This record gives sequence, structure tokens and C-alpha cells, in this order.
Amino acid sequence: MSEIKAPMGGKILDVKVKVGDTVNEGDEVVILEAMKMELPVVSEVSGTVKEVKCSQGDAVEADAVLVVLD
Amino acid sequence: MEMDDRFKEVEKRNREAELGGGPKRIDQQHAKGKMTARERIDYLLDKDSFQEIDKFVLHRCHDFGMEKKRIPGDGVVTGYGTINGRLVFLFSQDFTVFGGSLSHAFGEKVCKIMDLALQNGAPVVGLNDSGGARIQEGVGSLAAYGEIFKRNVWSSGVVPQISVIMGPCAGGAVYSPALTDLTIMVKKSSNMFITGPQVIKAVTSEEVTPEELGGAMTHNTKSGVAHFAEESDKAALDRVKEILSYFPQNYRERPPVVECTDDPDRQDMSLNKAVPDNPRLPYDMKDIIRTVLDNNKFLEVHQHYAKNMVVGLGRLNGYAVGIVANQPRMLAGCLDIDASMKCARFVRMCDSFNIPLVTFVDVPGYLPGVNQEYGGIIKHGAKIIYSYSEATVPKITVITRKAYGGAYIAMSGKHLAADINYAYPTAEIAVMGPEGAANIIFKKEIAESDDPETTRAGLVEEYRKNFASPFRAAEFGYIDHVIFPQETRPRLISALMMLQGKRTSIPERRHGNIPL
Repeated sequence: MSEIKAPMGGKILDVKVKVGDTVNEGDEVVILEAMKMELPVVSEVSGTVKEVKCSQGDAVEADAVLVVLD
Repeated sequence: MEMDDRFKEVEKRNREAELGGGPKRIDQQHAKGKMTARERIDYLLDKDSFQEIDKFVLHRCHDFGMEKKRIPGDGVVTGYGTINGRLVFLFSQDFTVFGGSLSHAFGEKVCKIMDLALQNGAPVVGLNDSGGARIQEGVGSLAAYGEIFKRNVWSSGVVPQISVIMGPCAGGAVYSPALTDLTIMVKKSSNMFITGPQVIKAVTSEEVTPEELGGAMTHNTKSGVAHFAEESDKAALDRVKEILSYFPQNYRERPPVVECTDDPDRQDMSLNKAVPDNPRLPYDMKDIIRTVLDNNKFLEVHQHYAKNMVVGLGRLNGYAVGIVANQPRMLAGCLDIDASMKCARFVRMCDSFNIPLVTFVDVPGYLPGVNQEYGGIIKHGAKIIYSYSEATVPKITVITRKAYGGAYIAMSGKHLAADINYAYPTAEIAVMGPEGAANIIFKKEIAESDDPETTRAGLVEEYRKNFASPFRAAEFGYIDHVIFPQETRPRLISALMMLQGKRTSIPERRHGNIPL
């Protein structure tokens, strides 16, 4: 199991995965708005999405868990 | 003793020294996937170029039964040789002899070659594989460490010093690599820490493996202590050769110039599309760097650490250059504490060794946050300004997109004595972003408007058009020219060639007081 965390604080613009989806290393899972930039949050491992812990419009802090992979 | 016997004695001692800790320990070393101290030297240096020094040195410890255990060389192989025909001095710690532990005699051997390197102006390469101090020797061992550290400091900025960690490196031993210019670690087989997992467990009850605590990836990602992580001993030694090809032998010389096999006038239309139209979209700054450099070859330093800042070495028209760049893909390219330290240290290293600096800028500013402020982003961010201002090597800057506020100044802005500053037409050079600026400047107008949002949007756009561009800065002469991205390479090469004669200095002093 691994967690994909927010690299910095910001607002969730888009969640690109849902529970059960297969994610490959390097895939974009979330788009985070921070410093007026749309930053893709990419998965560093491959796996299946077990839980999505954020939704569009959420404000998140740095290191907040966004997606949990199995 | 007959002549013949004397010759035989030399041969005997040579054999003993070359056997190190003996076949069994050599097998153990190989079983761990590690090369021996001598195999590493053979692989690193040009064939038959190694001249060993102090091969017959023995330790002088008479306590704890050590007087009965003596091996010629005493756990470290030292000497000089050449890499691609250029002189280097090196020491290679031999883990098969007393676990590579450092005795007083061992320390003297290392110091002797460091003194020779300093006097003769050639790099020092240290291959580290040691259990630490030789405890039987007590303070004699500590004294030896101190002598080495002092020489590391005295050599700093005089000759390049490269450390390779190819096994354990713990306690005081870590400070020698830490004082050198670049540290390379071998994955899985090396680790570095001041206090090991057992001491940590005893004192703080934290449980951690040696790999988690001080493995190659820990120091390449979390601490920034190491600059490179390599898969094997051979890969690490290849890296040493590659690194040294960009360095001069000492601070009085310039880096070697190689024949350029890439067209210096090469333009690349793809650069015109490298920066996205939408200023909110990130891109990979390394694509621009590689496109511009000779043969697209970029040796990234600190690749895994503070990825919002990119630093590394490359060539333009065959001349070595140090590249510093913001990375919009990571943390929007913000400057934070780690990125500041990474940048400043690299800039100072390049300046020490006459390596010109090329800086690519796309920076929205310093990273906001309580942790950053508490962590001292003020003093760490100041390091960037300090290092660029004091650097007297040629300094060329290209602003690709954002250059806002203090970060605009810090990233090799014209005002820190940069020589040539270019901007792409997509550059936005201003005191802050359009949204923030419009909210402040037009606060009253927006508040009093019947439709504040529409008014705000209009004013933001007006600010963007008038101020978030390279042209204001170019009108002041802070930007020397607004260039088309496709011509980046020829422009940089032309500026670099023009700056070959650069001679300048900063005011005399004992030494500056960089905010550490």
C-alpha cells in the first residue's frame, strides 16, 4: 500500500482517478492548483486505487494524503 | 642480507600489501557486490598509470594485541595516477584490512597525498569504505581524522575534491566527504550517518534500518548530503571520470575545452513551443536545457534532491558550463529552503573552479508557509543572492517565463552583476503576479465598482499586458535583449565566447560572511 501526497499546499482542481482504477508509475492522479499553477501530482508507483481522499475544490495542505493505492 | 634477499623482501612485502585482508575477506567483499580497494583504483585510473605511495606503512599500535596484527598498507591504498591523461591523487580505503578502520598511520597516508595534491594542483578522489575510527588507537585515530578534515578545508576551492561512498562511512568519518565538493553514493552497499541505528534506538527509541537512516537514496532525496546515487561500484567510478572532465585541475586553471561536434549555430524550432501559452501550465525545464547544450548532454547534479531547482554540468561549443534552473514542474518552481541551499552551493562550486554559469529562470517566488519561515527561508534564500553576487565567472541568464519579486533578483538578475540577461517573449518580469498586484494597486477601484469581479478581471488583464512582460525590464536595460527561444543556443554560445576575457573582482576582505 502506498499513499500519494500533496507536494505543496493548494486547491484540488481535478481528480483523475476513482476507486478500482489501475495506476501506472508516472500517471497523473490529481491536478493541484498552487502558486497560480496547475500542477499534476503523479504516482511514483504502480497499483490499484483503494481510496480517494480528496475531491474537486478541496483546499489541501502540504503532505496531505490525496490517494491511497493498494 | 644478500642483494638477492633484499629484492625478495620487497617482493614479499608487495605481495602482502596486495593481498590486503586475505582471500577470505576479499571473497566476502565480492559477495557483497563490492570491488576491492585495488580493483576500484584499477578501474578508475588509466591503465598502468597508478603509482602507489606508502605501500609498506604499518600501524604503530601496541595495545590490545594489535602489535601482532599488522598488514602492509594498513587499510588504505594511496597514490596518484591519471584519468583520461590528467593527474589525480587518490586514496582507497580497504575494508578487508581491519574493516577499513582509520589508524594514525592510515591518516598520515591520506594526508600525505592530500598535501601533494594541494602543492601540485590536482584533484583528490576519496574512495570511502571504512568502519570508522580504529578504536584500539584511541585519540591517535581522532587526531588523524582532524588532520584530514583540516586538509579538506584547506583544499576547498583550490583543487576539486570528489568523495565516493562505497561501504560504511559513520561517525566522524562522514565529515571528510561532507567537506568535499561532490559526494557519490553506491546504492544498497553504502551508508552514512553520524550516529547509527543502534545508538539512535538506545537514545530516542526510534527504530530505523541503516538503509533508511543513511542509504544512498536517503542522502540523495532527503538530506542532500550526497549528489549522486549509482547502481554499482563501477557506475560510481564512471561518474567520477565524467565529473572530472568538466573541472579544471585547480582554481588557477580553466576547465578543459573539448572539440565541439554539435553546430554552435544550431537553432531549434521546438523551443518556441517549449513554454506553454497558458502561464498556468507547467513544463519540463530540462527539455530546454538539453535542447540547448552540446549533443543534448546534461550531467545533472543533485537530481533527486529539491527537484524544484535543477543544477548540473554541460557544454556549450565545447566549453564547460554550470546550469542552474527553476523547474516549473515541481512545486511550481518555487524557491524553498532546500532549493536555495542546492542552488547556492552549486553556484559557489562553479565559481571556485572557473566554470561559467548559465541560469534559466521561471520562478513564481519564494514558497509561502509557516514551516519555511520558521526554517529560516530568509537566511537560506539569502544564500542564492550571496552566491550569485560574489561569483566572478561569466554569468548568463535566460528568463523563460516568470520572474517575480525577490526571486527575480536572486536568480542571477542583472543587479547581482550578471553579464548578459536574455528573456523570451513569454517572460513576465514584475514585482508580483498580475492578480496580486491588481488587487493592491486598484483596491479602491475594485471595491467601489458596481461589478467588482468584472472590474478586477479587467484590471488584472491590463496589468498583465502592461507589466507582466519582458519589455519594461528591457526598456530599463535590465534585460539585454528579448530573444526568440529557437535561437537560445547560438545566443548563449556567442555571449559565452564574448565573456572569455572577463576579469573582475569583488572588494578585498578576509572572507565574506555568507548567511549559513
